[in-house]
Amino acid sequence: MLSINGLDFRYKNISVLKDVGIELHKGEVLSIVGPNGAGKTTLLKCIIGIVKQDKGTILIDGRDASGMKRLNLAKCISYAPQASPSRFPISVFDAVLMGRRPYIVWKPSQKDLEVVADVLRSMDLEDVALRDFDQLSGGQKQKVLLARVFAQETDYLLLDEPTSNLDLRHQMEVMEMISGMVKKKGMAAILAMHDLNLASRFSDTIVMLNAGKIFCTGEPSQVMTVENIRSVYGVEATINESNGHPHIVPVRPVREYRLSDN
Amino acid sequence: MNNISQQYKNLTGRKLSFIILLVTVLFGVALIALSQGASSLGVKDSFAALFQQTGLAHAIVWKLRLPRIVMAIIVGCGLGLAGTVFQAILRNPLASPYTLGIASGAGFGAVMVIVFGGGIYSEYLIAGNAFFFALLSSFLILGIARLKGFTTETMILAGIAIMFLFSSLSSFFQYMGTMEQVHEIVFWFFGSLSKVGWKEISIAAVMILLPCPVLLKWSWDFNLLSAGDESAKALGVNVEKVRMLGIVLASLITAGAICFTGVIGFIGLVSPHITRMIIGGDHRFLLPASALVGAVLVLTADTLGRTLWAPQVIPIGIVTSFIGVPFFLYLLMKKRREYW
Amino acid sequence: MRKYGIKICALILLSSLLILAGGLVARATAGESIRIQDATGRFVEVRLPVKKLVVLTSDALEVIRALKAEDLVVGINTGIAKEPLFWPGLKDKPAVGSWRGPNYELIVELNPDIVIGYARHPGQDMEKKLVPLGITVIRLDFYKMRSMVKEIEILGRILGKEQEARQLICWYQEKLNLVERESMPLRNRPDVYVESYSKYHTAGPGSGGHEMCVLAGGHNIASNFSIPYPEITPEWVLAKNPQVIIKATAFGNCYAMIDPDPLKSVRDKIMACPAWDNIRAVRDGKVYVLSSDIWTGPRAIIGISYMAKWFHPEVFNFLDPEKLHREYLEKFQGIKYQGVYVYP
Repeated sequence: MLSINGLDFRYKNISVLKDVGIELHKGEVLSIVGPNGAGKTTLLKCIIGIVKQDKGTILIDGRDASGMKRLNLAKCISYAPQASPSRFPISVFDAVLMGRRPYIVWKPSQKDLEVVADVLRSMDLEDVALRDFDQLSGGQKQKVLLARVFAQETDYLLLDEPTSNLDLRHQMEVMEMISGMVKKKGMAAILAMHDLNLASRFSDTIVMLNAGKIFCTGEPSQVMTVENIRSVYGVEATINESNGHPHIVPVRPVREYRLSDN
Repeated sequence: MNNISQQYKNLTGRKLSFIILLVTVLFGVALIALSQGASSLGVKDSFAALFQQTGLAHAIVWKLRLPRIVMAIIVGCGLGLAGTVFQAILRNPLASPYTLGIASGAGFGAVMVIVFGGGIYSEYLIAGNAFFFALLSSFLILGIARLKGFTTETMILAGIAIMFLFSSLSSFFQYMGTMEQVHEIVFWFFGSLSKVGWKEISIAAVMILLPCPVLLKWSWDFNLLSAGDESAKALGVNVEKVRMLGIVLASLITAGAICFTGVIGFIGLVSPHITRMIIGGDHRFLLPASALVGAVLVLTADTLGRTLWAPQVIPIGIVTSFIGVPFFLYLLMKKRREYW
Repeated sequence: MRKYGIKICALILLSSLLILAGGLVARATAGESIRIQDATGRFVEVRLPVKKLVVLTSDALEVIRALKAEDLVVGINTGIAKEPLFWPGLKDKPAVGSWRGPNYELIVELNPDIVIGYARHPGQDMEKKLVPLGITVIRLDFYKMRSMVKEIEILGRILGKEQEARQLICWYQEKLNLVERESMPLRNRPDVYVESYSKYHTAGPGSGGHEMCVLAGGHNIASNFSIPYPEITPEWVLAKNPQVIIKATAFGNCYAMIDPDPLKSVRDKIMACPAWDNIRAVRDGKVYVLSSDIWTGPRAIIGISYMAKWFHPEVFNFLDPEKLHREYLEKFQGIKYQGVYVYP
C-alpha cells in the first residue's frame, strides 16, 4: 500500500501542495484530476522523490520513502514524465531496457533482456524494437515510455498524462494496457489526467485536486458531479452515464467563476 | 529462445565487433606511422628496431616515432572521450571541449605557464594549470546552464563567449610576451605532437586514463540522462553527482589531451557523432568506440601531416580539420537515420 | 546677448578655419615632396621636412638612431620601454602599443608626420585609420639582408640624413663584403640546421636566418623548402645529420644580460632533444645560440660574422665579431658595448 499523509510543498514561498493525503491499494488505478496548475505533476514528483516535500510522509508498504536510496526507490516505484525528450538517440530496445537499470550493474542479464522482450511483445512493439526511438510516431513513443515503466517491474506506477498528444485509438490502447497490467500483475497506478472521461472510465478512484488541495476523493461517479466540476473547473457540464461510467459533457464556462490564484 | 532479445544480442555483438575493428585499424595505422619518417630507415628496419636495445634505429623508433604515435593515440582517445561525456551530461549534440570553451580554458592555463615559465616542474605546472582553467570554464558553463536552463543554444552561446574570453586572454599574453614567447604561443594554437617526450606522455596518459573506469561505470547513467533528468532520477540516477563529477572528469581529460599538444580541434565534436551514426547511442559502447575513433583520426592526421609534404610538417590542427570535416559531412549526408 | 554670442562664435570658427587653411597651404608650398617605394613595393608621397616620427619597430629605431635622428621620434612601441638600458634616450617617450597592434588613437594624439611599421605588421588597417588624418604610413623592414641598403637610403632621404645614411651603408657593406668575399667561393660548406625561435621550426628560403646562413658560408639543410618558417620533425634533422646547429632565441633584453645562463639553458635543451645525441653537431658540441639582437636589423652582420667563424674557424680567424659589435654600438648607437649575445 502506498500512503501519503499531510503532504505540503512550497515553491518559492508559494504553496503548491497543501495537506495532501492519498491511499493507494494494490490492484487499483487512481487518477488525479484537476485544472492546470492544480499540482498534479508536482504531487507525482514528490512521491517519486524528484522534488522534496516540506512536510508530510510517503510510506511505501510501510517504509518511509524519504529514507530510501534512489536506486532502491526505483525498484518500488516507477515514473513516466509527461514529455518525452525531444531528442533521444537510442534504440527502442535500449530505451525500454533503461527500465531495467535499477537491476543492472554493467551487463544486462538474460532475465533483463527477456523482460524487455516480453513487454515489447505484449505492447505490440516487436516490429520497431531495433528502430531508433526518434523515428517513432508520437503514439509509439508514448507506448515505449510506458513499456519502460512496465519493464521496471515495480509495484507502483506513476504516470503523468499518459494519453496526452495521442489519437483516439492510442488513448484507448494505452489506458487499457495500464489498467490491464495493474489488474493482471497486482500493481497499483497513479495517473495524472486531463481527460475526465478517460479517467472516469479506467479509474477505481479519482482524486480531484484544486489549488494544491484535495477537493474530493472517491469513486468516479461520486467525484464527477455537476457541482464539483463547476466549482473546480469553472465549467457548466452535464453528466450522463454510459456503460456504468459517468460521462462528462462540458457545456460552457461559468461566468462568475474566479480562477483560484496559485 | 526469445526472438527480439536474440536480435538485440546480435546487435550488441556487432557493436563489439566494431570496437574490435577499430582496435585493428588503429593498430594498422600505428604500424604504418611507425614505418614512416624522414630518415632512410626502411619499413622492415623500423619494425626490427622495436626490439633493439641500442643504436640509431632504436633511437629513431623509440625516442622520436613511438612517442609521437603514442601521444597521438592518447590525445585522440581523450578528445573523443571528453566530447562524448560532454554531449551526454549536457544532453547537447553540439557540446565538445572546444565548442564549450573548455579547451580554450585549458589552453589559456597552459599558455600562461609557457609564458611565465615553470622551471624544472614546468610539465606538471602546465598540466595542473590547464586542468584548473578547464575546470573553471566548465563550472562557468554549468553555472550559466543552471541559471538559464540546459538548452542547446544557451550552452553553446556561453561556450563561445568563454572561448572568446580565454582566446583574448591568451592573445594578451602574446601581446605582452617576448618574440620567442609569441612564436611559442602562435605555434601552440596550430597544435603539434613533435614536442612531447615520454614524460609528457605519462602525465597526459594518467590524466586521460584515470577517469576512464569511472566514466565506463557510468555508461548506464549517461544513457539515462538522455531520457531526461526526471526519468533518470526516477530510475535511480544521482543526476547532480553524475553531471558534476562527469564535468570534472571530462575537464581533466580535456586538459590532459591538449596541454602538451596545443589546439587540435574538431576531434572532440565529430568522434562521438561518427561513432553514434555507426553503432548508436549506448554509452557502454559509445565511450570506448568514440575514444578509438578519435585516436584513429588524430594518428592518421598526424601521420599525413608529417608525410604528405615532408620534410615540412603540416600542423596537426590543420590536418584534423582537413580530413575530419569532409568525412563528417559525408556521413552526415549519407546517414540513414536521425542521430542528434 | 545671445545673438552676439553666436556671432562671436561664428567669427572665431571662421578665423580659425582661415588660419588652419593658411597653415596647410603654407606647409604645402614651403615643403618639398618626395616619392619613395617602401618595403611593400608601393609608392608613398612624403612631405618634407619630417619633424615627428612614430616608430613601431625596434629594427627601424636602431637605424634611426644610427642616422642621428633619434630626437625626431615622438612615439615608440611598448617593447622599447622595457629595455631602458639599450634605449636611454627613448625610454621615456610615449609608447603607442605593440609592433603588431598599436593603438591608433594614441598615434593620432601624438600627431606625427610619419609612422614606420613592418611590411606585414600591423595590417592594412593602419593605412585606413591614419592616412585620412594626414599621417603618412611607411613600411620598412630592416631585417632582410637583401633590402637593407636600399631601406637605409630611403630612410636617410626621408629624414634629411643622407650623409649619415651613407656612412652606415658604407660600414655595413664593408663588413658584409669582408665575409662575403671569403665565403662565396667556399665549396666545403657545412650542413647547418637553423632553428628559429620556436622549437622544431626551421628557417627556410625567404627567411632572414636562411640568408645569413648562406652568406656566412653554410649550407642550410632546409634550403629546398617552400615556406620560410615551417615545422619539421626532429627525425628529419637527425636524418640530415647537420654539422652545425644554430638556434635563434629572442629573450629581448640581451643588452642588460650579464650572465649567459639563459642562453646556456637554451643550448642545453637543444643538445638534450631526444635522439639528437646521434647528430654530428650535438656530438661535436657545435650547437650555437644566437640572440635576436644580432639576428635581424643592421646588426645581422654581426650575427653573420659569428656564424662565419663557427662554420669556418680557419678561414675567418681574422674576424672579431665582438669588436665589430662594440664598434657599431659605440659609433652608430652612441651607447657602450655590453651584454651577452651568443653562447658559447
